[in-house]
Amino acid sequence: MEVLEKLFNVALVVATIRTTAPILLVALGGSFTTRAGIFNIGLEGQMLVGAFFAVIGSIWTGSALIGVACGVAAALVFALVFALLVVTFRANEVVVGLALNILAGGMTISLMKAIFGTRGSIVGHGIVGLPKLTVPGARDLLGSYAPLVSGFTPLVYVAFLLVPLLVLFYRRTRLGLHIGVVGEKPDAAEAQGLSVTRIRYTASLLCGLLAGLAGAHMSLGYITMFTENMSSGRGFMAVAILIFSNGDPVRLLLGCLLFGFADALSLRLQTFGFPSYLVLTVPYVVALVALFLLAWKTRPKLVRETADSMRRLLSIRPASPER
Amino acid sequence: MSDPVRAVLGQVLAVAIAIALGALVILAVGESPVRVFRVLFLGAFGDATKIAGTLLQTTPILVCGIAACISLRAGLFNIGVEGQLFMGGFAAAWIGFGFSLPPVFHVLLGLAVAALAGLAWIAIPAFFRARYGANEVVSTILSNYVAVLLTSYLTIFLFKRPGGWSETPPIHESAYLPAIFDFSRLNWGIVIGLALAVGVWFYFRATPRGYAITTMGSNPKFAEYGGIDIRRQGFAVLLVSGAVGGLAGGIEALGVHRRFMEGFAPGFGFDGVIAALLANGHPLGTIVTALFFGALRNGSLLLEVDTNASREIITVIQALIILAVSAQILMRRRADSTAGERRWKF
Repeated sequence: MEVLEKLFNVALVVATIRTTAPILLVALGGSFTTRAGIFNIGLEGQMLVGAFFAVIGSIWTGSALIGVACGVAAALVFALVFALLVVTFRANEVVVGLALNILAGGMTISLMKAIFGTRGSIVGHGIVGLPKLTVPGARDLLGSYAPLVSGFTPLVYVAFLLVPLLVLFYRRTRLGLHIGVVGEKPDAAEAQGLSVTRIRYTASLLCGLLAGLAGAHMSLGYITMFTENMSSGRGFMAVAILIFSNGDPVRLLLGCLLFGFADALSLRLQTFGFPSYLVLTVPYVVALVALFLLAWKTRPKLVRETADSMRRLLSIRPASPER
Repeated sequence: MSDPVRAVLGQVLAVAIAIALGALVILAVGESPVRVFRVLFLGAFGDATKIAGTLLQTTPILVCGIAACISLRAGLFNIGVEGQLFMGGFAAAWIGFGFSLPPVFHVLLGLAVAALAGLAWIAIPAFFRARYGANEVVSTILSNYVAVLLTSYLTIFLFKRPGGWSETPPIHESAYLPAIFDFSRLNWGIVIGLALAVGVWFYFRATPRGYAITTMGSNPKFAEYGGIDIRRQGFAVLLVSGAVGGLAGGIEALGVHRRFMEGFAPGFGFDGVIAALLANGHPLGTIVTALFFGALRNGSLLLEVDTNASREIITVIQALIILAVSAQILMRRRADSTAGERRWKF
């Protein structure tokens, strides 16, 4: 019991919010492409170059803000290449996404070696991290619960504020609706005079913007360093969440909180002497189980629809009227 | 120009563009592209030992590539070859050091258990893909991370060599996959890989089942109307693909390292997937692309000694090639859009 009390406390919730932020940012970015009908497995690589160039920008200019801007710019370049190949050249999304991920991994390591002469990681060198924002009055109002709302880096607030904003964006704005139409019925969108190409490019670039922010948060947020392949599958987890949330921001948030929690818990468990190798698998296993469970759950509808349409096609039996 | 000639020319042009881009990247990291390519080439083919080394690196890439080819044929992406390789490698090493068995039988059992381990590792993602349509790209990628961590855990916490550092005890000599030459660790795994490539090519070309799988890959609806149970077939294809991935790990464990250790065979699974993609899922083509990647890898061993570039520059070149080829083929396909659509063709 005492262990449980030590494990589940305010600090764990705070840690969950922290670990949720980068995966939430990248998943929200992915919601643009998912909604626009693009399967974007390249999130991982966009995040990684975002993290790398954020560190570079921060070192060269001494400003965290410019660092973030550099990270975003790099992720945008990757997003642009992705869109060019997938939308304009109609190359396979999975192939291009994977290749860009590999490119991101190799490029960041090569550049790290060229610039710093080291392998492994960039620590120190005057990296300026993001400041922590204190919400005024939180301490007085909430007492020991204040860390729940105060003291996070700005991008954490951005991530969580983006959720309601994106709900509004998809429901109320012209571009948001267009993205949805292009994703669901590209032919109809074309017939309406919408440029599918332009909207998919826009969606891909918006995705790169948020993936870059996610990367910058990884390397300039709570730890100010860059490590080889430091995104360690978070982009892929985001894709898993995107698949079963279908790009809906609220469901994305719930999924991301689940992973943030799994991540925070696994960090916690390590300090209790559980073998780190097993504990580190927790977030991946959670992602896999969630992916499988959701696929299993959505099955009945799919099977029912297929069975119905088959029946109608073959007209063996009339479609059941009570449905 | 006839179509095949144009296709090959296009592919060559794409590779040339990618290498030119790679040269730019090498310039960007402050090295001379000519020197880097020279070092890469000499490191790969400089003398007999180097060529054997290239073939040694080619072996796991080829076997993993065949694993990927099998799934690509059915229009499925097994990106989890890396994880299957790790599971297979560990399983084979375990058979190798944990049991005392007669020589030839020991090797065969080790390879068989490796294949089984790979098969078991893909079984759950394959089941959910075939039965419920759970995206296999994501599930197999995520299971890679689990496989790497799990085998590390098994190695370090349960089977560590006494006094050793994150590695299992060495396997018994009876479990060695024998070397071909005495000057290199190159082993019979390369022969297994080549035989697999030819066998798989023949299977897809000449057997009804192979044709059914190809049909499923190029047009699943048509295959279904034609009476193929695409769920069952998809499941079986992924299982076989996983088994071959596991076998690749078994070959590495019994033929090269003769033990299992942390960071065993990094990236061979991914290289295999890329080699298969570059060959458009063709098993014989994969021999060529795997050899190319094996040469790049072996050449890169000297890169950090002789130049200032890091050896990851070769992953950059590989990625650029894939990107260039993916764009190029589609420029061709847009012209004749009536060509059959293959999900995995890029």
